[in-house]
Amino acid sequence: MKYAFLIFENIRRNLIRTILTGLCTMVMVVVVTLVFTVLSALDRATTEKQKNLKAIVTEKWQIPSMMPYSYATALSEGGAAADDPNAARPEDSMSWGFFVGSTEENPAKRSFENLFFAFIMEPEKARTMLDEVDTLTDDEAQPLLAAIQRMKDVPNGVIVGQERLDKMKKRVGDRITVFGRNYRDMDLELEIVGTFPREPARYADSSVISRDYFNRQLDAYQRSHQNKPHPMAEKTLGLVWLRLKDRKSFSKVSEQILTSPSFTSPPVKIETSSTGIGGFLEAWRDIIWGMRWLMAPACLLTLSLVISNAISISVRERQLEFAVMKVLGFRPTQILVLVLTEALLIGAVSGFVSAAMTYAGINGMGGLPFRIAFFPKFAVPLEALWWGPAMGAITAFAGSVVPAWRARTVKVSDVFARVT
Amino acid sequence: MFQNNLLAAAPWALSTDSPWLLGVFGVVGLLLVLLVVIGKVPLSYNLLNLRVRWVTSLMTAGAFVLVIGLQTSMLAFVNGMYAMTDSTGEPGNVLIMSEGSTDETFSNLGFADATDLETQDGVMKSADGKAMVSRETYLNIVQTIPDHLPGRPKRRFLQVRGLDVPTMSALVHNMKLVHGSEWFTDAGVREIGKTGETAIEVVLGDGIARDLGADRKPDDLKTAKNRTRLDVGDTFDVGGRLWIITGVMESSGSLYDSEIWTKQSQIGSLFGKPNYTTFVLRADPNFRKEQREEFLATRIRKAEEAYEKAIAERKLDPALPKPVKELVKRPTSDDAWGAELLRDFFANEYTKARLSPQVETTFYSAMTATNQQFLIAILVLCFIMSLGGVFGVMNTMFAAISQRTRDIGVMRLLGYKRWQILVSFMFESIALAILGGMLGCALGSLADGWTASSVISGGPGGGKFIVLRLTVDFSTIALGMLLSIIMGFLGGLIPSVSAMRLTPLQALQ
Repeated sequence: MKYAFLIFENIRRNLIRTILTGLCTMVMVVVVTLVFTVLSALDRATTEKQKNLKAIVTEKWQIPSMMPYSYATALSEGGAAADDPNAARPEDSMSWGFFVGSTEENPAKRSFENLFFAFIMEPEKARTMLDEVDTLTDDEAQPLLAAIQRMKDVPNGVIVGQERLDKMKKRVGDRITVFGRNYRDMDLELEIVGTFPREPARYADSSVISRDYFNRQLDAYQRSHQNKPHPMAEKTLGLVWLRLKDRKSFSKVSEQILTSPSFTSPPVKIETSSTGIGGFLEAWRDIIWGMRWLMAPACLLTLSLVISNAISISVRERQLEFAVMKVLGFRPTQILVLVLTEALLIGAVSGFVSAAMTYAGINGMGGLPFRIAFFPKFAVPLEALWWGPAMGAITAFAGSVVPAWRARTVKVSDVFARVT
Repeated sequence: MFQNNLLAAAPWALSTDSPWLLGVFGVVGLLLVLLVVIGKVPLSYNLLNLRVRWVTSLMTAGAFVLVIGLQTSMLAFVNGMYAMTDSTGEPGNVLIMSEGSTDETFSNLGFADATDLETQDGVMKSADGKAMVSRETYLNIVQTIPDHLPGRPKRRFLQVRGLDVPTMSALVHNMKLVHGSEWFTDAGVREIGKTGETAIEVVLGDGIARDLGADRKPDDLKTAKNRTRLDVGDTFDVGGRLWIITGVMESSGSLYDSEIWTKQSQIGSLFGKPNYTTFVLRADPNFRKEQREEFLATRIRKAEEAYEKAIAERKLDPALPKPVKELVKRPTSDDAWGAELLRDFFANEYTKARLSPQVETTFYSAMTATNQQFLIAILVLCFIMSLGGVFGVMNTMFAAISQRTRDIGVMRLLGYKRWQILVSFMFESIALAILGGMLGCALGSLADGWTASSVISGGPGGGKFIVLRLTVDFSTIALGMLLSIIMGFLGGLIPSVSAMRLTPLQALQ
């Protein structure tokens, strides 16, 4: 107990140094926590699952994938022949098309603020198939469930993420006209029927419009253009998501789709969602590498240096004190532990406070806004609450080993010789 | 020469001749010189102390080295992105996509459109009398690399540009082939070997040639014609077909360095995109020369009217964003004038097809949304890390002062003024910062010339996959040193003030 008291007393003794070292730890932990937040989210998205996995079917060669919508039904069945009892079939599926447009009619005035991006899909699949929405409880997903229900009565309904609503300065119930960008000459009159839940934040900037409504708009275009279909009419299917029981089922469905003559023009590919996302992230490979292997280690090394410096100064100033302690019967190991514990305590506590503040602050503002691929924002995970103290403690330990060893090896005779 | 990269792109629009930047460096330098010369500050005493406490000095400087080194390399990355977007495009070119398109991927233009465009007055003619128009189909193709090397990608997104007449496209884009290269043939395909197998002929940009070349196995490298990049005669697989390189383009520092150029008729049919996506026209520099001043006056008037209107609208609805007046720049060359006037013609007078014309340089320089995002993220991270550096210096300086309290007392008794004590310790702190900053910049400079893959875009819904070259230049070094000096100044200020406030009596007690 006295030993612990001594540690706290030492930390309190030079409060400025303790506070400065703690503050330095805190800011460095903020940086590393932010880096880890992005990396851990990307790692989670690209980790292969063994069960209840999702597969993505896309056009084999081109990006963005643009397949004919006629593929959708057969792909949703996993490419299985209707009369084949032995065929593997997905447990659930979802098809996506993409509509990019603007709420601003004048092309010269179009900007990010009036940009409109929507998934063209079956609305009810937003609840059962969208990543991270499918794991919400019904209570958590309530705003979305209400919006999906409303879309049954409002065919031109649109579900819009809260952030996009804010940017467009619109509310649920408002009507908007969206001027097509990837579907030239297709302007949609939409009614905002609801929004996504606040969490997950990744859909805060997205929207959902009904596939049936969109197909009817394509038909309307054809009728108003001398029966000439829209130039993109045969390219409205971006990708199809399949939920599969396990890897065996995935292999079987892959084989069915890849060997089917129905999907050859254009040819398609199937991959697990983690592989697909991982493949897409290859474009950001060097940035992710830099974050993982340059930025995070440099921060931790800097932190170690600063802590080491602070503890070294402290040890030098307390040489006489350590000598007295030795005279009083403290063993060298106890002095070593004393110095190490002081550093660890400062590191761990500062790290925890920093991580907790980062968690509350960043998540309070809706996530870290750093757009990579289709991840617009990153929420700081709960695990950050242990990353912080762990980072603080490890760097403090690394930085204080040498000074602590010096404190341990203080020679009483040398110190007193200098004093006298 | 530095105007068009990082400094100009930074939120405060800094440039080498910026009075702000020159002012900061000038004031710091002048202050140091004046204080040393006029103030008779005992600098040798400070330098001696830095040397005596060399471990602490080195560790403090080490923290600077890491922070500034990291900042320099990160800024070099963004600098490379800006350099690429800024150096892409010819000032005399007009890029045309279908109406409403902001990205080539979603543009869709017909064959008939091209024929009519080529007959317009403002389009320049080449020496042989042909209209200088490049007809293009732009595609992003997925290349899977089944037996990839460790640390190399399993998949890559290739930017493929299908062209009708490669020599004309090269003329319009001002791209040249390296020695020993040739453009692909009219057929765009050739037989290789004696088996009758055919390969699509392609010409590679320098960046993508290097990136693809890095995928080669050690055994392949032993027999490679060129070890740093793929070269003429090399082949690779994409889209289920073999592609053979007929040429490599000279590095231009532009986005075209990341592209593969091939015959439009080959890739159009292979990937189901028979139409064009883009026409690039070289404008006649003398096009409507007499209307230049009127055109500029009209643009300025329209910009002012739009601004006034936006202000009026905002008065009625304060929730609207703050209006920003469009900055109408006067074209600086005949080429640029020609392009502006031709763009204006296609935007306002041409009625045979609905097009989206843009001056090529404007189109590419607007693709900075990703650059800005990275720049802001890096600046925020650097700011946070710098705070850590400030606390580190502060710690060191407080320790230095507490160890030398008696020295301060003696110096005061010797007649040194309070402000001289302040300057003395500030000098120590800034000297540490400058040393650390210089070493940090040197460390970060090692990243200069590295290649890295990235994505650039003008906003969501489009973008280009690029291979860029990290660029450390004056801008990155200046920002590194500036940050370093600020860190040293802020970190040393409070401890120095506390030293200054000590009375001789307090100090000697």
